[in-house]
Amino acid sequence: MSKDVIVTKDLSKTYGKGELQVHALRKTNISIKQGDYIAIIGPSGSGKSTLMNLLGCLDTPSTGKVLIDDTDVTVLSETKLAKIRREKIGFVFQKYNLIPTLNAIENVALGMGFAGVDTQTRQKRAKELLTMVGLSHRMKHKPSELSGGEQQRVAIARALANDPSIILADEPTGNVDTLSGNKIMNILEEINNKGETIIIVTHDPAIAKRAHRKLRILDGVVSEENA
Amino acid sequence: MKKMLRDHFNLSYKNIRERMSRSILTLLGIAVGIMAIVSLIAIGEGMNVAVSSELSTLSDTIIVQVGEGFSIFNFGQNGNSGLDDEYLTERDISDIERIPGVKDVSPQLSGAGILSFNGETVGVSLTGMDSDIMKVQYGFEDLDSGDLIDSGDQNKVLIGYDVAYDYFDANIAVDDMVIINGNKLQVHGIFAEFTGGGLTSSDDAVVMLTRDYKKVTGESNIKSATVTVYNVNEVDPIADEIEQVVNENHGDDDFASATTLSSILDSILSILGILQTVLIAIASIALIVASIGIMNTMLTSVMERTREIGIMKAIGATNKDIMLIFIIEGILLSVIGGIFGIFLGMFGSQGISSILLSFEMGGGGTFEPVISIVSIVLAISVSLLVGVLSSLYPAWRAAQMSPIEAVRYE
Repeated sequence: MSKDVIVTKDLSKTYGKGELQVHALRKTNISIKQGDYIAIIGPSGSGKSTLMNLLGCLDTPSTGKVLIDDTDVTVLSETKLAKIRREKIGFVFQKYNLIPTLNAIENVALGMGFAGVDTQTRQKRAKELLTMVGLSHRMKHKPSELSGGEQQRVAIARALANDPSIILADEPTGNVDTLSGNKIMNILEEINNKGETIIIVTHDPAIAKRAHRKLRILDGVVSEENA
Repeated sequence: MKKMLRDHFNLSYKNIRERMSRSILTLLGIAVGIMAIVSLIAIGEGMNVAVSSELSTLSDTIIVQVGEGFSIFNFGQNGNSGLDDEYLTERDISDIERIPGVKDVSPQLSGAGILSFNGETVGVSLTGMDSDIMKVQYGFEDLDSGDLIDSGDQNKVLIGYDVAYDYFDANIAVDDMVIINGNKLQVHGIFAEFTGGGLTSSDDAVVMLTRDYKKVTGESNIKSATVTVYNVNEVDPIADEIEQVVNENHGDDDFASATTLSSILDSILSILGILQTVLIAIASIALIVASIGIMNTMLTSVMERTREIGIMKAIGATNKDIMLIFIIEGILLSVIGGIFGIFLGMFGSQGISSILLSFEMGGGGTFEPVISIVSIVLAISVSLLVGVLSSLYPAWRAAQMSPIEAVRYE
């Protein structure tokens, strides 16, 4: 049995106060194991993004805990959280979110830079990763010179750069055509086959079907759905 | 950490290039401020050098006169501001001559006289002095025409610009004969119009050798004396001693004053220094405005890059990383602006000084603006400081941004 990479304990997030209170996430207890391939599904406004932000250490819960590799991240300082984000988590966003002034290699290498990896190693690894996602011919291109699908593949390469334990992908195929979306999913699954934990937020049933495990959210309540 | 800094630098640099026209406008602000400061310092230094070199050749000279003497407050007016009926005596002169270290004493005589030319008559004040003192007193003033009088000349007179061109219906020219108290003298030179470059106004002057003065007036009223010393370093104590000796002779503590030219130089330089400080303070306002400009540009940049900052945080940038990126951006803007401003200042000071000279503000003198290493170092450190200070707040704002901004859908 592989170990748990993410465990949440009574994780809740509430926005606003009094009458206007919105319970985006209610007492959620989930555990995600090393190598899992999970889809988080649910209609928009159900709390998918809230859960994703909490798991990715981008946001802090109102109550409850998130344990990543047995570390309670809810009590960590800003600087320590930044360290967790760059070492343990790789993000893939719906809108790619590449830095527009940097080319593909520089975008992939940026996170390694924050982690203090030396320039040569960064260049080498960035090239390897871009080759892996099939962009060896686009290394010096800026985001504006790449198609949506290509940008998303650069984003995947960037997410993998620091060799994280978890890849969090928020609607990774939401902004690309079916063919590119398929390519992206293939890459993510290939990564998963190598033992990487993948969590995908999606409302596309076809994408969700490919995952090994499905978590459905409705009004802030998470339930396991049998695949 | 060094490698990290290079990345921050790279990000900052790319961002500046991305927003080229805005960046150029921002750094122009700094360039103008630095230009103003650099050129003002250069012109001030140039003036210092010009004044010092004009006056330092006279640093072995002491001027003794009745009354308050030269000071910066009556500078440019007629320095002989003492009471009209009080004069130094022959005894004062011989006492001064006996003070150890004194090389030479040349009394300067003055009194009223009548000048006639072409049948017209005007009352003037006459001055008599030795020819070498004439060189000291008027040597660095331009002559409109003619020459200073040599010690061998006889019956020659120098007249001021107004005497030559204003006093009489007809203009007086060099070599014309004038009549002073009934004695015929030949005009040997005419002083150029007084512009502030010399020690005292020469516009109303009628100057002749001591010998001729005595002959013309029949008097020897000594208004002032010019003393030279052997050792330049002793000039101040000797001046004190002269004052003491002369005042003792007349039983009055404030009867006469002995002024060294180096003390005049000092006060001119300190006035120039104050003037320069005030000008630079005014120029600094330009820098303050420019740094507000940087702050404004940076804050706009922070707002525009909310998402980018969020992304960088999401992929692991710490608050410190974000702050550094923005501070470096501010420093880059202001230091590039500063370097630009230094070059502008080099050309600008040349331009300003040639404009000043074309107005004859230098009294016919000339000066070169001086750009020193110190002022360049100063300009760079000031722009560095401006860069850091004006980017601190925007950088802090950027660092406080939440990484959730990166994943927020809009």
